Amino acid sequence: MTAIGVLGGGPWGVSLARAARHAGSEVTLCTRRDHPALPGVRVTPSMRVLAEARLLVVAVPSSSVRAVARELGDFLDGGHVLVHGIRGLSSAAGGGSVAGAAPTVTSADDIVTISQVLREETPVRRIGALGGPVQAAELNDGRPSAMVVGSEFPEVVAALKRAFAAEWLKIEGTSDLRGLEWASALVGCLSIGVGFAAHIGATPGLLAALASRGVDEAAGIARAAGADPQTLYGLGGYGDLLASIVLAERPEVVLGRALARGAPLEAAQAEAALRIEAVTLVPRILRFAELRRTEHAIFTALAEILNGSQAEATLRRLFD
Amino acid sequence: MADEYPIFRFNAEREAIVEETVRRVIASTRDTLFALNDAAYHEARRLDGSRKPKDQAELEEWRRLARRLGRMSELERRDKLREIVEGYGWDVAGNFDPRVYRFSTSLVPSLVTGLLAPRKLATLVRDPRKLFGFDALAEKFLIDGEVDLARKLAARGTVVFVPTHSSNMDSIVFGHALDRADLPPATYGAGKNLFTNPVLAFFMRNLGAYRVDRRLRHKLYKDVLKAYSCVLIERGYHSLFFPGGTRSRSGGIERHLKLGLAGTGIEAYARTLLSGHERRVYFVPATINYLITLEAETLIRDYLSEAGKARYIIEDDESSRPGRMARFVSKLLGHSGAVHIRFGAALDPYGNGVDEHGVSHDHRGRPVDPASYLRDLDGSISLNPSREMQYTRQLGEELAVAYRRNAVAMATHIVAAAAFGALRRAAGTDDLFAVLRMRDQITLSRDELAREVLGVKDRLLELEKHGEAAVSSEARRMSGGDLVEQAIQAFRGYHTSPVIQPREDGLALSDTNLLFYYQNRLAVHGVGWDPTAHGEPRPRPAAA
Repeated sequence: MTAIGVLGGGPWGVSLARAARHAGSEVTLCTRRDHPALPGVRVTPSMRVLAEARLLVVAVPSSSVRAVARELGDFLDGGHVLVHGIRGLSSAAGGGSVAGAAPTVTSADDIVTISQVLREETPVRRIGALGGPVQAAELNDGRPSAMVVGSEFPEVVAALKRAFAAEWLKIEGTSDLRGLEWASALVGCLSIGVGFAAHIGATPGLLAALASRGVDEAAGIARAAGADPQTLYGLGGYGDLLASIVLAERPEVVLGRALARGAPLEAAQAEAALRIEAVTLVPRILRFAELRRTEHAIFTALAEILNGSQAEATLRRLFD
Repeated sequence: MADEYPIFRFNAEREAIVEETVRRVIASTRDTLFALNDAAYHEARRLDGSRKPKDQAELEEWRRLARRLGRMSELERRDKLREIVEGYGWDVAGNFDPRVYRFSTSLVPSLVTGLLAPRKLATLVRDPRKLFGFDALAEKFLIDGEVDLARKLAARGTVVFVPTHSSNMDSIVFGHALDRADLPPATYGAGKNLFTNPVLAFFMRNLGAYRVDRRLRHKLYKDVLKAYSCVLIERGYHSLFFPGGTRSRSGGIERHLKLGLAGTGIEAYARTLLSGHERRVYFVPATINYLITLEAETLIRDYLSEAGKARYIIEDDESSRPGRMARFVSKLLGHSGAVHIRFGAALDPYGNGVDEHGVSHDHRGRPVDPASYLRDLDGSISLNPSREMQYTRQLGEELAVAYRRNAVAMATHIVAAAAFGALRRAAGTDDLFAVLRMRDQITLSRDELAREVLGVKDRLLELEKHGEAAVSSEARRMSGGDLVEQAIQAFRGYHTSPVIQPREDGLALSDTNLLFYYQNRLAVHGVGWDPTAHGEPRPRPAAA
């Protein structure tokens, strides 16, 4: 039986803990906030207790991951495996440069993946990420879905597959960790566009055009970041976006729809209920794409949508 | 003290080392049919077409083996495997001659003499001190950085030196630096092609270097090399590897490191731990910085021509031409601080920094036990090649950072970056080859270039404040005009065609390829122009 620890008591962390418990793993959830009843799961506020498990999943917002990882790092050593389920990207720590950063990263852009943050802030080297279309609600209800686990270390992929193995959950593995992290973040952004376009009446054909062009753009950006662009065309990228098109309740899609109705950003975010990494990510990715001179027409449109400026016209222009 | 260095035991342990290597390779070869077939296939391909009688005989032997393989019993194949692996093992194994080592303080001047009169070498071994003074050399070679740390760690465990690689002079220069810095000598896997130069071969063979025949591409041979190197490190032999593999063609600092044999240091540490006799392995990065590079012209030509991408080993370059080499060495000796070796902070096999007590610290300074990285999720310790491969890759990333931080910018690099910047502006394009075609088309006044040079230097000094670059102390002191003058002096008389030519109307930027080569050293800092910044480098044949 796999012992697994989940850090973060938000909806996503709770769902992951439930899913792992369902898969028969011995689960510890570390949280300092209120949480629903979780039969069979050990809940603790202590990171020290959490670190008794060697396989740990971090499920906190990207904005706090650096501080959380730094604190957690005090209880870890090289024998731990650290995985995150964060659909975002982070920023370089002030001052020092990052080993393992995309080799051509210059001081002009400071985007780093969450796994790079984990590597900087903890002694752990075996690091991985969760991605793919699976949503918190699906994990809670045991509805069939698909997840991608990524790590450069085969043993990490294998351990995650074991920890979450359930009949209703299809788990794919990839060794392109960086690609999976960028794919998750980029698809989160594109999903806003999907919700927006659907609301303004884009037909299935136009949605398909938006999706395929969006994935192409995302693949170019991911390549510039040092990822394998092919990963964007797999389950963690295209597959994830495909799910967004039919998943009306996905938070990013809800947000996009609300914006299309003319709701201000704050109201749209409130409607989506869950925290959406993509909101702050879009402008940063756009800047990254501009600096690296990759295609960014769709990300330009997404930034305009979030600004509430001329968005509909922007989107229509894309289909010309 | 020096006599206690592990390498002094080498000749006594040589046989045991080769035997252990052979044993390991044979034990780890599961599929003898595949291993022999693979070797025969690659060897037949390599030897096919050679006119040398020795090669032809060898070719015939491999072909005969390939034909018989299917009919051989497993026992016969094992015998054949042992025979081949033993042959490779002894071919790889080096030698160590303490006499040669003792006179390595005078290595470089002796090299000059040796190049001029190779037969004198034998007498030199007996009494080198008669022939030259050493003090002259001291100011030419600057050695700094984390030398004390490396020295302390060498007394605690096995040190794996991993410097940057830009010249065939590197192994000799670095060997000399180790001695000057009171660091132990290191074994080194030298390309077999270096052994064709009798002078280099003499030193290589007797300083513990082992032979790496890079023409042999099959797995069995690579397994022998890896096992040999691993056994050496496990036994405490300090080792030297150039993790960049081949010399930097572009002149830039290595950014993508495969590590190759250096990766065996990670396996070696794991094996000592598993055997119950933990012996720490410390990787010590270093940069070797030259005011001028011996093979600059050949290397940059190779980088710029598409053909160069496929050519792995340059058999004929400046280092195989003794006259050229002598000119190079005398040129270097004419400039103080012309070679600068900087040692970076030591790392454990998992990329953690190591303090002088040998304790590893993660990026946030917490102590961490390196043995923990070998633990499975169930807590047991094991060898896991796929895991070690990833640790190796991660270590390569850490080394690339260390290189960037420790690369020392010198007058030639700074002036070339300024000049190339001017060329690029004049060309008005980001097309590298269009810029390179502007030979002899731009003339700048000395003052103008000096101003540009100061601009480049200031940016480097700013980076240096954040620990992200290093400027040589000479360059730091010099004015823009002095830097320009030193660069011109350094280029002149060594490179065959003028790089920057003083004329009546100013300084003509002449050899654009070499300016590109020298400025590439700073590309990693974003100070020189980095043509690889936006995706892959796209070298294509330069238009005539």
